[in-house]
Amino acid sequence: MTRGSAHWWFVGPALFLMIVILLMPIGIAGVLSFTNYSLGNAGADWVGLDNYEKIFTRSTYEKMFGATFRYVFVVVPLSVGLGLGAALLINSTKRFGDLYKTIYFLPVMAALIAMAIVWEFALHPTVGIVNSTLERGCGSVLETWSWYAHGCERGFPLWLTDRDYAIWTVAFIGIWQGFGFNMVLYLAGLTSVPRELYHAAEMDGARTAWDRFRLVTWPMLGPTTVFVVTISVIRSFQVFDTVEAFYPQGGGPSKSVYVMMFAIYEKAIQQNLMGIGAAITVVFLAFVMFLTLIQRWLIERRVHYT
Amino acid sequence: MSAIQMRSIEKSFGETPVLRNVDLSIRAGEFLTLVGPSGCGKSTLLRILAGLEAPSAGSVVIGDRTVNGVRAANRNLAMVFQSYALYPHLTIAENMKTPLRLRDLSFTERLPFAGPLIARDKHRKLQEQVEETAKVLRIEGLLNRKPGQLSGGQRQRAALGRAMVRKPVAFLMDEPLSNLDAALRIHMRSELAELHRSLRTTFVYVTHDQAEALTMSDRMAVMMDGDILQLGSPEDVYNNPQDIRVAEFVGAPKINLLPGEVDEAGHARCGEVALSRVAAGAASGEVRIGLRPEHLAVVERDEPGALTGRLVHRENLGADLYLHLAMADGKHRMVVRTGVHESGHIAVGDDVTFVRKRGEAMVFGRDGKRLSLSEAPRTSIPEVA
Repeated sequence: MTRGSAHWWFVGPALFLMIVILLMPIGIAGVLSFTNYSLGNAGADWVGLDNYEKIFTRSTYEKMFGATFRYVFVVVPLSVGLGLGAALLINSTKRFGDLYKTIYFLPVMAALIAMAIVWEFALHPTVGIVNSTLERGCGSVLETWSWYAHGCERGFPLWLTDRDYAIWTVAFIGIWQGFGFNMVLYLAGLTSVPRELYHAAEMDGARTAWDRFRLVTWPMLGPTTVFVVTISVIRSFQVFDTVEAFYPQGGGPSKSVYVMMFAIYEKAIQQNLMGIGAAITVVFLAFVMFLTLIQRWLIERRVHYT
Repeated sequence: MSAIQMRSIEKSFGETPVLRNVDLSIRAGEFLTLVGPSGCGKSTLLRILAGLEAPSAGSVVIGDRTVNGVRAANRNLAMVFQSYALYPHLTIAENMKTPLRLRDLSFTERLPFAGPLIARDKHRKLQEQVEETAKVLRIEGLLNRKPGQLSGGQRQRAALGRAMVRKPVAFLMDEPLSNLDAALRIHMRSELAELHRSLRTTFVYVTHDQAEALTMSDRMAVMMDGDILQLGSPEDVYNNPQDIRVAEFVGAPKINLLPGEVDEAGHARCGEVALSRVAAGAASGEVRIGLRPEHLAVVERDEPGALTGRLVHRENLGADLYLHLAMADGKHRMVVRTGVHESGHIAVGDDVTFVRKRGEAMVFGRDGKRLSLSEAPRTSIPEVA
């Protein structure tokens, strides 16, 4: 009897915590997503798939998906690409590497909320440093660029409050904030590339930096890349604090920055519509789950060579 | 195939000198081994020849072209690395095809998917070359596997294949066998020597294992502390070491070294035992007398000139038996080679009497250099030893 139960004492605590703080909340959110529960209400009505139907039919949620995917598809490639580029450059310098590392990593360490406030000042249409710098370029050759000439004539864009620019501006800040982290991951990955492979590539006739990158660096960074991309995608799906800091009143101009995390917050917390909030959460979870599964599949299939 | 000259090569890493004024000329088509203990600069010399490292001073000439400043990729040499350095994400066939792709195909012809369509004939030719090489090395069956799925010996062959698939001026090998297990290493020795005979290309081989150097090379260069101490055929290096460090390094078990001195007549002597030959022109003083284990023989009874030691260890190699003897002075150990059936009865702790074979001893001066001995008139030897 004791022999049969010992293992429960080993896995029990972990299992208990996993159920209580992970699986149960997910399960409860799943159940709530089929109701119209509000916090404080004694009971709730079962509404079936109504919440999901709303998510996939109403234009607000269409905007939500639009904003989220725009953000993800801009931030992920650029922050991964810039992270890789910065890591390769830092890896190739003999001096000041640590200095550059620190500089690029600073935005990662800074509190994003504080940084959002700084960006809000910088991007302010009249007193902000961005537009005043752009105005100084007026009258120079830059005006041959029609967008620039237009800006000089009619004023430069209201970066954060123009619905054509808002999501891209927020994405830019996301990239600025996130690529330093990817850079550090890539730097770690680069240290594990065997030097002899570069020598072998040189002996084999890889003359250009591109040849070496294609033949050695990129394949050897495969596992790092899968990890970096997955982390970046999940982080981009989770973007919330910049949106909340810039647009506390609901998703930016014409809801063009109404990302999923913010939608969950607005519905479930601000408007106390737990049911619909839970439904968005479940959809969100499905996305992240899907990505994680792709990552696992890729890791097992492609990028580990031994 | 062309001769290679390395002239007055010097290399230092920061303040540490690694190579001091090394001159080496490699004949076209020969199997030359650079051998020496770790840290003697042999790998650095090879990497300077390959172009992976730049010398601090000196020049490298391949054929009649000075290649200082020519990058490794343009020197047309092939290298086999200790870790094999196969690309882990490519199959063996792709690994072997890489040097051909990078040299023979243009950028557009190398593009994935489009490349093979544009230059189908070229790609087919490369594939044929790979298959031919694989056949020579007997790895046809492994072409579609990745390096991670192969054993050490198979990876070794694949790395050889990648080097062989094009026709380089010379093969450079940096301890290619040291990651293999003992049996395979010995097998690969003969295989590499055979490969060299059939390819008739220059091989420059770096190893710390003197047995590999002795068994495979046409000529071997013994390196120590950034210098080539002796360059010659394996027989020459083994039988006529010009430096005490060479004598100690080459040969296993190690050569026996006894302290001695040269008397006024020029005879080197160790205690009462004197050599009959004369160290011509050597000033009298301390010397070291070297005797290889096979130059000593166990005798039953005491003879003039015999030495005695107590057996402390028996090393049985099957065909040969090496007796490790502690000499009476308590400081020196001697190793004597004998046969198992003649001396099999001797047990640890027994006293063993042995004599040297005449004319085999080597005498090294105080600076470590070999003293040349010449046959002296027999009459002038007072005590015959």
